[in-house]
Amino acid sequence: MGGLARRAAYIRAFQLRSHDEAPALFVDAGNLFSDDRYAAGELPAEITVKNRWVLKGYGDFNHDAANLSYLDLPYLASLLKKDGYDKRVAEFPFIKKLISANIKPMDPSVQAPPPYVIVETTLKRGQPGKKYKIGIIGLTQGKPVSPTVDEYDVAGFHIDDPFIAAKRILPDLKKQVDFVLALAYMPQDKAQLLATQNSEIDAVIGARQISNTGEVQHFNRATLTYAYSQTKYLGELRIYLSNDAKIENQTNRYVALDDSVPDDPAAAEVVASAHTEFTNEQSKTAQQVQASATPMTLLSTASPYAGVDECAKCHQQEYDIWKNTGHAHAMATLEKRNQQLDQGCVKCHVVGFEQGGFQAVYSTPQFANVQCESCHGPGKAHVDNPGKGYGFMSVPVGCIQCHTQNNSPDFNFALYYPKIRHTKG
Amino acid sequence: MRRTVSLVAIALFLLSIALMLHGCSKSQTEVAAGITDTFAPDLNDPKLKERLGDDDGYSLAVLYGSDIHGSLETCG
Repeated sequence: MGGLARRAAYIRAFQLRSHDEAPALFVDAGNLFSDDRYAAGELPAEITVKNRWVLKGYGDFNHDAANLSYLDLPYLASLLKKDGYDKRVAEFPFIKKLISANIKPMDPSVQAPPPYVIVETTLKRGQPGKKYKIGIIGLTQGKPVSPTVDEYDVAGFHIDDPFIAAKRILPDLKKQVDFVLALAYMPQDKAQLLATQNSEIDAVIGARQISNTGEVQHFNRATLTYAYSQTKYLGELRIYLSNDAKIENQTNRYVALDDSVPDDPAAAEVVASAHTEFTNEQSKTAQQVQASATPMTLLSTASPYAGVDECAKCHQQEYDIWKNTGHAHAMATLEKRNQQLDQGCVKCHVVGFEQGGFQAVYSTPQFANVQCESCHGPGKAHVDNPGKGYGFMSVPVGCIQCHTQNNSPDFNFALYYPKIRHTKG
Repeated sequence: MRRTVSLVAIALFLLSIALMLHGCSKSQTEVAAGITDTFAPDLNDPKLKERLGDDDGYSLAVLYGSDIHGSLETCG
């Protein structure tokens, strides 16, 4: 599901279907870049490679704007450094379409992103011939560090209050355009508040949501819809204008980017190149780690996890059932698509990733695949001292840690659970 | 003869300046625009048709997503 190649193809098909009569914009509501393993002011080389390809891919395939969220900031500073900025923009013009009305650099040698972009198009429907301007403003919440506390200084940037920033900027933007679209990386209640408090806004597209209903919600004159994570489903907001170009209606739907949608060949080439460079960079890191003096086995012996072979010693019956399930071959699923090194994917295909379990196939192969402890929790203490009190698992709550709507849109507990069910033992 | 050589030298100089200023960046933009314009999906494919839905007369559309988190593809 999803991916640039299908997205680009769908957008093209969408334009062709209306004979290019109805302009279609593409926007991203936030979390464009990875901040994985950001530490001491630096991103790992392979993460920088991924981010650079995203910048290229979005530019090459004519995306109109991307909202910057708190997750984008570790990569952003390198893009917005004043030194060499023009050269970077010449190479990656999409830099100028990264927007935020409430992110400000703390370092004076880094420039602020634009608060909004204005896209102009000529209408062929509604009021044919009219130059119609759409203003797209970006806003993000602070970085959540607990359920109730946000952090506002992140990776050299300060995140201002998005509501104050909106009040400051929207009146001026509204004077310049016909339609104001706000991209809001924030929880549902805050996105609703944004729509309610600002009469200048015509539509809010929120992100960082879990579920989506499809229908637009109305708050004053503004509509509110939410983007799907990873864009596995593409949001499609349709705007209907009267013959004097006034907004008559807005409707929304989500389009499953599954194999019904072909790959755009050129976009698929970009994705393949990105994948190859990322995998090469990951392999370099793996080789460096292997060649380093730190014996990786030490890390695995200190693990709170035991591995499935230890479980099988006492729970042979459950082991026999498990080894014929999809869980037991979860890494093979990734290997088929050459994604076994992509940490964003790996975490749901192994035991205890970044929690003292799986690190990499070369160092901790005993924790590859979805094993007993992926669901039942770390079992080393139980192996050392067997007894009651280990292994309780609440279903389906445990399942949906990985089988989320975004990762596993077809997940149906009633159908899936019998496939992995094993007797108590 | 000397005048001709001077004119050729000036012309070459101006040509190199023009290439430096416009050459690389402009061609990249044009290629990028051309890439998407040349692809023509089969609009009669029933599965794609179903995904596209009906053209009900909308004036413009905003297609959107989020949270790709550094990846141009999604997990297997």
